[in-house]
This record gives sequence, C-alpha cells and structure tokens, in this order.
Amino acid sequence: MDYDALAAELRKVRENVAGVTDTVIAASDGIPILTDVAKNVEPSHISALAAADLGIARQAAEVVGLGALRQTVVFGSEGYMAVYSISRTALMVVLGDKGLNLGRLLHETRPAIERIGSIMTP
Amino acid sequence: MLRVSGNAGGVFHLHEGVVVAVESAGSPGVETLLVSSGVISAQEWYAALVESVAAGSLRDALVARGSVGPAEVEAVALAALHDGAFATAAGDVEECVIDTESTDVPLLPANGIAPALLLEKVAGLLDALTVPFSPYRDRLVPGRRTPSSEERREIVAHATGRRSARDIAFATGRSLHPVTAEISRMLGEELLDIAPPATAFSFSHWGLPSLRPRAPGPGSGKELDWTTTPWPPNCGKSERTSPE
Repeated sequence: MDYDALAAELRKVRENVAGVTDTVIAASDGIPILTDVAKNVEPSHISALAAADLGIARQAAEVVGLGALRQTVVFGSEGYMAVYSISRTALMVVLGDKGLNLGRLLHETRPAIERIGSIMTP
Repeated sequence: MLRVSGNAGGVFHLHEGVVVAVESAGSPGVETLLVSSGVISAQEWYAALVESVAAGSLRDALVARGSVGPAEVEAVALAALHDGAFATAAGDVEECVIDTESTDVPLLPANGIAPALLLEKVAGLLDALTVPFSPYRDRLVPGRRTPSSEERREIVAHATGRRSARDIAFATGRSLHPVTAEISRMLGEELLDIAPPATAFSFSHWGLPSLRPRAPGPGSGKELDWTTTPWPPNCGKSERTSPE
C-alpha cells in the first residue's frame, strides 16, 4: 500500500479545513491503517468506534430510505467526529474542534475520499 | 450576505449598508467568547437560546436573564464581528459570492460597522503583526526561551506542534486576533517556533500489506467477492459460491 500517497491526502484535509485536529484511515472492521493523531487520541479506539458508528449509520440510512450514506457526524459541545466510507473495506475518520465548518469539510473530503479509494485499490 | 469560501472562509451579514456580523471557522463565535470568558455559563447560554424564541432576539433574552448588560452584549458581538473579518482576511480566499436570497440570520448581530471602516481596521490588524505567519498553516512549538507571564505560558502549553494559532485560540476560548498578535510577538522573542512538518503531522501505520480479501490462485483471473466468502472464514472446507 502506498502510505506516502495516503499520508499526503490526510495532510491536505488537515491543512485545507480549519478545525480538523486528527485524521485516521481504518479498515471497515476497525483496524487502523494510517493515522495522524494527537497524543491523547488512541488510534485503535477511534478506528473501532468509527467502524461501529459507520455500520449503524449505513443501516439507518438503508432502513429509513435515505439513499447512499455520505457521512455520519457525532456533534459534541466541544467538537465533532465525522466518519466517511471509502469503500466496502475501508473508512476515514476526521476529528475536529467546535469551530470546524462541516460544509467545508464535506467539500474537501468528497474528492479526497475518491483519491484515497483509488490509492487503496491495487 | 457575502459568502467568502476558502480556508477559513467566512460569512458577512449585511443590513442596511452596514456589516452586523461576521462568522468564520477561523475565529471563536459569540458563544465561545461569552462562555469561555466566564461572563455567562454554558447552561445560561442554552437557556437564553430557548428563551430567545419568546423574547424575539437572543440579545433580549441574554439581557433579561440579568447576568449580562446590553453594553457588554454589544461589545462581545462587535468583538466577534471584527475577529471574524480578521480570520477571513488572514486565510485563503477562493471565491466571494453575494447571496441576496439567504434567510440565515446571525445569532447575535452587532449594531453594525461600515464596510470601508471594517476593511481599514482589518488591514491595520494584519499589518501590525510583528512576525508575519499564517494563523492556519503554521503550527507552533515552544521556543528556546521560557515565557514569564501566565497568558504566554498558557499559549506555550497549547503549542504541541500540531496546533496552529487558530487552534490555540479555540483551545483557550479567546479571540483569534489577540492570540495571533501575541504569538507573532512570541515568535520574534524566540518563545515559540514554527513546527517542522515532521512534528506538525505524525503519521503512523501498521504495515497492513493489503485490504483485499483472499483471492484464488494465480492464473484463474477471477476474484472472490466479500459477499461470497463462506462464514466462518478459514473454516477449512471450501464452499465458495463464486465460479472457479
């Protein structure tokens, strides 16, 4: 796997969206693949939570008839956790502080996810 | 309203020829400024939000609660307006769009400031930075020297190498401009340094060779799909449903 190319994509997301604090690419079963996180963030915990979160959100979207899942976001009083599906086998997590602009994040992550998806497809 | 897209970007709310509010992802909003400074508690803020429906405006609801006066509310709204404009101007501007149809109203509008005056003020704030740096792209680490004041020590404590001036402003609940100006002076006094990329970004991976599911032997030219893999996997007996 081309980790340098994946790292460049994660770096772009954090550089181009004010408020993004940490990023993680994980397998959809919750195993971390590549992380850029602060010391207080445990990559394996975040990956496992994101996998569960994405699974539930995807099922909710399907059961309620909301179409294809684009993102699922946890809103906290101090920040956000957004989870995106990269493919059936991988996901991306973005953590942000309370100033994060979610619209801007979606605008930046949508093309990034496509590129990450093609980097991960051998 | 004027929408400025970019990083951090911003939204300028205009009313009768004056700017009444500027919201930006680069600067803490009125809520953070009121709550972090201890003027009101988070509970009071949320209660005022609920009461603003009946009171007609958030400003009236806040004043009616009695813990903050009208002059103080106006001062905070104006500070947030200036800071939002500074945050937008200090970042990258990709596109500016005038939106006359939007029904979005700012939470706490100020009495307003003429656009030309605001522009002049923001240009002055940007020019006044002792050491020019980006409050978004440049991330900070402690410098060679140790600061003596409490305020500066707090900034250094937040300079983990991953945080920019904007991130430190949000972490401390203070406006972007004063934090950026202070960091600019501290860079000049070697109390802070710009973090190298290896510190600003800390990538780790676990060497996973591939995410692909087990594939049939070479030469078959066919791949297994996840859905066709028998469960439990690796059970020893092949019951694959895909054509071999």
